[in-house]
Amino acid sequence: MALHHNQPLLITEQLSFRHEEVKNPVFKNVNFSLYPGEAVLLLGPSGCGKSTLAFCLNKLYPEAVDGELNGTISFKGKILDEFRPGEINQHIGIVFQDPESQFCMPTVEEELAFGLENMKTPPEEIESKIDEALELVHLLSFKHALIHTLSGGQKQKLALACVLSLNPDILILDEPTANLDPASSYELTRIIKELKEEQSFSLLIIEHKLDDWIDLTDRCVVLNRDGETLFNGSTADCFNKYAEELTLEGIWLPSAVRAGLLGKKAGIYKGENLPLTDRELIDGFVNPYTALQILDNRKTIHQVSEEPVILSAENLSFHKDGKDLLKNISFSVNKGEFVAIAGSNGSGKTTLSRLLTGLYAPSKGNILFYDRSLSQWKEQELRLKLGYVFQNPEHQFIADSVYEEIAFSLRIQRMTDAEIQKMVEDVLHQVNLLQHADMHPFSLSQGQKRRLSVASMLVNEQDMLLLDEPTFGQDARTSAELMALLETKIHSGGSVVMITHDMEILHSYADKVIVLSEGEKIYEGLPDSLWKEHEIMKMASLKVPYTEKLRNKLDAMDGRNKFALT
Amino acid sequence: MLLHEFNPSIKALTVIVCVLILSLFFDPVTPFLTLVVTAGATFIFGKVSFKRWILLFSPFIFMAIIYIWSALIFSKTIEGETILWTWGIFTLTEEGFQRALSLGMRVLSFTSLSLLFILTTKPTEFLLSLMQQCRLSPKLAYGIMAGYRFLPLMKDEFEIIRSAHRIRGIPKARTLSEKIAELKRYSVPLLAGAIRKAERTAMAMESKGFTGDRNRDFYQKISVSWKDWAYFAFFIGAVLASAYISWLFGFLQLYNGEL
Amino acid sequence: MLEKWKLREVIVLSVLAVVFAVVYLVFMQFGNVLYGMFGLIGYDLIFGIWFIVSIISAYIIRKPGAAFLSETIAAAIEVMIGNAVGPRLILSGMIQGIGAEAVFAAAKWNNYRTWVLIAAGMGSSVTSFIWGYFISGYAALSPDYVTAMFFVRLISGALLAGLLGKWLSESLAKTGALNSFPIGKELRREKSQNGITS
Repeated sequence: MALHHNQPLLITEQLSFRHEEVKNPVFKNVNFSLYPGEAVLLLGPSGCGKSTLAFCLNKLYPEAVDGELNGTISFKGKILDEFRPGEINQHIGIVFQDPESQFCMPTVEEELAFGLENMKTPPEEIESKIDEALELVHLLSFKHALIHTLSGGQKQKLALACVLSLNPDILILDEPTANLDPASSYELTRIIKELKEEQSFSLLIIEHKLDDWIDLTDRCVVLNRDGETLFNGSTADCFNKYAEELTLEGIWLPSAVRAGLLGKKAGIYKGENLPLTDRELIDGFVNPYTALQILDNRKTIHQVSEEPVILSAENLSFHKDGKDLLKNISFSVNKGEFVAIAGSNGSGKTTLSRLLTGLYAPSKGNILFYDRSLSQWKEQELRLKLGYVFQNPEHQFIADSVYEEIAFSLRIQRMTDAEIQKMVEDVLHQVNLLQHADMHPFSLSQGQKRRLSVASMLVNEQDMLLLDEPTFGQDARTSAELMALLETKIHSGGSVVMITHDMEILHSYADKVIVLSEGEKIYEGLPDSLWKEHEIMKMASLKVPYTEKLRNKLDAMDGRNKFALT
Repeated sequence: MLLHEFNPSIKALTVIVCVLILSLFFDPVTPFLTLVVTAGATFIFGKVSFKRWILLFSPFIFMAIIYIWSALIFSKTIEGETILWTWGIFTLTEEGFQRALSLGMRVLSFTSLSLLFILTTKPTEFLLSLMQQCRLSPKLAYGIMAGYRFLPLMKDEFEIIRSAHRIRGIPKARTLSEKIAELKRYSVPLLAGAIRKAERTAMAMESKGFTGDRNRDFYQKISVSWKDWAYFAFFIGAVLASAYISWLFGFLQLYNGEL
Repeated sequence: MLEKWKLREVIVLSVLAVVFAVVYLVFMQFGNVLYGMFGLIGYDLIFGIWFIVSIISAYIIRKPGAAFLSETIAAAIEVMIGNAVGPRLILSGMIQGIGAEAVFAAAKWNNYRTWVLIAAGMGSSVTSFIWGYFISGYAALSPDYVTAMFFVRLISGALLAGLLGKWLSESLAKTGALNSFPIGKELRREKSQNGITS
C-alpha cells in the first residue's frame, strides 16, 4: 500500500448526486481521495452510481444531465467549479465502457488531433504527440486507419491513447474491458500495467471482473446498493473482512477470494485470511487436490450420444466478398445436447450461427435439420422449431409491451386470445417477468431484457435454440439467470448451441465444444480435454477456466517440490 | 492538379451558383453543354472512373425521363406555338417539347455538378473547411462529424434487425399500413440505440475537453488561394459559355418563354 | 442560437439524420415505384417524409432552431454520405427547415400539440415547393398540374411529416430512450398524473 506523504490530488467531501425528478440520490455523502501515483478500485453492484461518480469527478456531470450535485470536489486544492470549461479534462482523463461511442472523427489520427486541438496544443506539436501516444498503446501502424474498421480492443486502446496524449494526472477507467473478448481484455490490462510502471498518473478503476486488476491496486472503495460508502481502505482488508458483505451486495469477487470463501464454508480452507492470490489460496488448502474437486462446478455430463441427431452440418463453406469465412465444417447436434462454439474474434463463430439458422445460405455443403435440408423448410415452420437469440436483445424486440412481445408469434399462428393469454402468462412466469407485462421492452433492465429475448424464443417450445454470446457484457447475476433458463430447456429435451467467450460457462455447462480459428474447425470434443490441448488454446486465444488454472499451478508446484526432493 | 486539391467550400459554392444560374434557362442545349464540360472535368481532372460515376448517375437518368414525360403530358400551352400533335385534351407543341427536354437535361446537369463535388471531396475536409472558411460553429461541425461516424454502425444494426425480424417470423409488409408499421419496427430500435450512443459520444467528446469554443487552432489547415477562385471562375464561365453557344444557335430560352 | 444548445442535443440531431438516411434508402425504392407510376406528382405523394426529421427533432428537443437545424444537419450528412444531389441539398434542407421552424416560431416554441406539428409539416411543404418551382422549372408545366402537385405535397407534409413524426417520436419516448428530453419528461408527468387519477 502506498504511503500518503503527499497531498491528495483529488478530494471529494460529502458528495451526493441526484437526478432531476428522482427522489433518491444515486450516491450520497461520498468522501474519497486519490493520491499521486495511487491505483484505486471503485467497487459496487450494478446501478450503485460508480459511473455517475466517475463522471462527476471530471465535471461531465451534472452539466450533461439534469441533476443536482452537492458537496465539493477539489483537484490540487482548487474546487472543480473554478476550472474553466474543458480545463479539468486535461488533468483528469477517462476511458469509457462502450468502444463504439467514444469517438467523433473518422480516422485515428484525426481523433487524436481533436483532443489535442481542444487543449489548444500548438498545431506544429500535434503530430509528434499523436505518434507518441500511439506508440504507448502499440497502435502506431494504425495511424491513418478508419476507426470503424478497428476491432473493439483496438478501439479501447485508441481511447486510452487519446487520454494519454493529454498527459493527465488522473486516469479513470470506467469498465473499459466490459465489451471486449478475453484476449483483447487481457491485452488492454497488460498495456495499462506497463504504463502504470513507466508513468506517474493515478488510476481510478471501475471494473466487474477483478482478477486482472487486483495486483495493481493499492486501495478499494466500495459503494453499496444505496450509493453509500461501505468500505474505503486497503485491498487486502477489503476482501478479507468484507467478502461476505460484498457478496450480499452482488459484487463480483476476485476468483481467488471466491474460491477461498467457498473453501472456508466447506471447511477445507484453513488460511487465516482470505487469499488474494492463487498462491495464497493453494497454501491455505489442507489438501489442494480434493479442494479442486469441490470447487469444480462442472455439471455431470449426460449421455447424449444415444439420443437422435437433430441438426447436422456437412462440409459447410461460406464465402463473402471474395473471402473464405468458413471452410469445410462438419458437426452434429443431438437432442438434449449443449454445444458451445468458441474461438477468437473474426474466427467465423457468428457467421456459422447465421448459417445454422438459415439466415445465410452456405456456399458449399448442407445443413440438415430433422433430416431435411434447411433450404427445404418453409420459413414460418422453421422459426417455430429453431430459435435464435441475438447478442443485443433490443434488436429482436418488435412490440410495445413485454406481453405483446411474447404474444406476437402466437398471433401469427392465429391462436385464440384465451390460448394466447394462457401461454404468454406461463412463459412470463417462467422467466419471472409477469409483473412487468405492461412495460415497454426497452425500458427493462439489462438482465430482464436478456430474459425476455430468450423467452420470446421459448414460447413456441422450439426444439433447438442458438445463442450468440448471450452473456457478453452482462453482470454475474444476469448470466446465472440465463444459464438457469437454458438448463431447463435442456432438461425438457431441447438442444442449445451457444457461442461464448466465457470459459467458466463453457466448462460448467457444455457437453461438447467446437473451436473455430480463421474459419476452420480446429477442435471438437469435451471441454475437459480441450484444456489439455495447449496448441489449440493458444491458436484460438482461449484462457483456461479458474479451477483448471489452479490445477496447472498445483502441478507445476508439485513438480518443483518433487524435483527439490530428489 | 487534381480536383481533390481545391478548397471544399469553394467547390460547394461553385456547384450552388452554377445550379442557380442554370435554373434561369429553359432550353435543352445550355444544360447539355454544361453536363458535357463537368463530366469531362470529372474524368480528366478528377481521375474518377467512369464505372463509379455512371453507377451514381444512372438513377438520375430515370428521374430525368420522368421529368420529361410529366412535362410533356402536363405542359403549359402557350398561344401561337407550333403544334406537333394533339390528342384529346393533350396538346404537344414544339416549344413544349423543348421545355420538357430542358427540364430533363437540367436534372442531369445538376447531377453531374454534384457528382463532381461528391467524388472529389472528403467529408472531413469539407467540414474542416466550413469551420475554417465559413465560420461554421465547431459545435455543429463536430456534432455532424460524430453523427456521420454512426453510419457504418447503423447500417450493420439495420442488417441485424432485418435478420432478427426474420427469425421472429414477421411476414413481408405489403399494404401501406403494414409498410408504416414496418417503418416503425425498424426506426424505433435504431433510434433508441442511436440516441443513447449519441449521448455517450457527447460525453466522450466533452471528456476530451471539447467546449465548442470558436477560437480553435487546427492541426489540418484548409487554405484558399487564387487557384480556388480560378476554379470557381472556370465553372461559372463554362455555364455562361454554354448559354452563349446555345444563343448563337438560336436555342436559348429564359424563364419567361422567349428571350 | 447554437450557444443555447448542448453538444448532446446537436449530436442527437445528427444521429437522427443518420438513422433516417439509412431508413430512407429502403423506402426510396417504394418512392421510385410511385414516381414511375404517377410521374412528378408521385414524388410529391411521399415528399413529406423528407421533413420528418424536423418534426421529430422539434417535438423531442423543443428548442428554437430544432426544426431548422435538424433539417440542415440531415442534408449535410446526406451530402457527406454521398447523396448525388450534392451541396444544393444543404440549401434545400435549410429551406425546408425554415418552413417548419416558422410554424413553431408562430407557436412561440411552447406549443407542440398535434395541429402545430401538422402545420409545421405543411410549412415545410410550402417553402420546399417554392424552391422547387424555381429550381426544377415548374414554370414549364401546366398551372393546373402544378396546383395539384402543391396540394398533394401539402397533404403529404401534414401526414408523413406531421402525424407520422409525432407517432414515431411518441413510440420512441415509450422506450425510455428520451427520458432526459422534454418529450420524455412530459410522458412521465402524464403517466404519474394518470397514476393518481386511476
